[in-house]
Amino acid sequence: MAIEKQTEFEIDHKFDPVRDRHYLNGVCSVLHCHHYATLFTQLAADAVDFQGVKHLVETAEDTFYEVLNAYFKEKNVVDLAQKIEIARQYWSAVGMGLIRFTGIGKYEVTAEMEYSHLDEGWLKKWGGSDKPVNFFSVGFVAAVAALANDKPPRSFQAKETKGLVCGDEKSEFKAVLS
Amino acid sequence: MAIDRKKIIEEMSKVKVLGNKEGLIPAFGVYVQQLPADFWNGFSRRIVNSVPEDLIEAAETLLVNAALECGYHTGYGIITSDEWNQIVSPMIENSPEDILHGAFAVFTAWGWAKSEVIEIQPNEKMVVRAYDYYESDVMAYGKVGRPSAYMIQGVSSAFMDLAYGGEYDVTGESGIYTFKCQQTKGIELGDDYGEFVVTRR
Repeated sequence: MAIEKQTEFEIDHKFDPVRDRHYLNGVCSVLHCHHYATLFTQLAADAVDFQGVKHLVETAEDTFYEVLNAYFKEKNVVDLAQKIEIARQYWSAVGMGLIRFTGIGKYEVTAEMEYSHLDEGWLKKWGGSDKPVNFFSVGFVAAVAALANDKPPRSFQAKETKGLVCGDEKSEFKAVLS
Repeated sequence: MAIDRKKIIEEMSKVKVLGNKEGLIPAFGVYVQQLPADFWNGFSRRIVNSVPEDLIEAAETLLVNAALECGYHTGYGIITSDEWNQIVSPMIENSPEDILHGAFAVFTAWGWAKSEVIEIQPNEKMVVRAYDYYESDVMAYGKVGRPSAYMIQGVSSAFMDLAYGGEYDVTGESGIYTFKCQQTKGIELGDDYGEFVVTRR
């Protein structure tokens, strides 16, 4: 009888008592709240002349590409379905929300979020928005799209096409091959 | 002062958080997340480095304000939390000064900065030192041209707002922005530690 192996994202949380820092899987990590995240987002959105949104999306893409890629290498994860499942669990474990990758292809990757830290926080702090605001997850989706296709960062251009903050039932993301 | 920093750091550093079935972490009256420090540093540096010289201070102020609002609301959530009531509250003899000492011990325990209050003039001034903080990681060798511990600056101001700014206001319409912080030293500037002087606006 075949036994299905469950993919589980493993978290090794260590506290360094000398430097007083927390490490998740060897990565220095910090707790921050939705006020901080939404104000960073607002700052990025306001900095139109200085490509604020692009900086935020690319920072997210670079950061989470590195985190996931290091994890895949360390755990020898090469299977596409496992990579996607680990990415999904990672986003949830760190409190960013419930993401589901709905399509993975060579030319496009799609995802949706039923719950999102950024959107919940934005709604709590400011109410709705006429445009999607989850730039953290846009960068994350771009990173996952690249990793799923064994490509470097900036291989995919991602955007949020629907947003919980806009009153949509789900947030939706689409990344296309650059 | 009866605040036992060592004990607070030892106990509060054990607090671990993970997303619930919705992938969210509701805690201390806010939603929290636990992201790599590099992410926060990365965006801060990119935005500061992308603006012209005459707008650097304005960009830095916005980054400080993000932390100030975070520190004000989350800080209030922390000092009214079960964890605080169990561990820190029994140590408080002089309020609000001991609360400030306790808050920076928690700040340390959660990995924001290895920091402590070294001077308080009640209702007027506080000096904080940070001996290790993730915001100084922006430079691996050498030093940056300007102080860049925006998060510590903002949170230090917010803690003074909570201590001396009047009743906590969940709307943020009062009580907040009654203090300002100047970073006078920084590891990222080549100093042995970061120093933060908080005074009334």
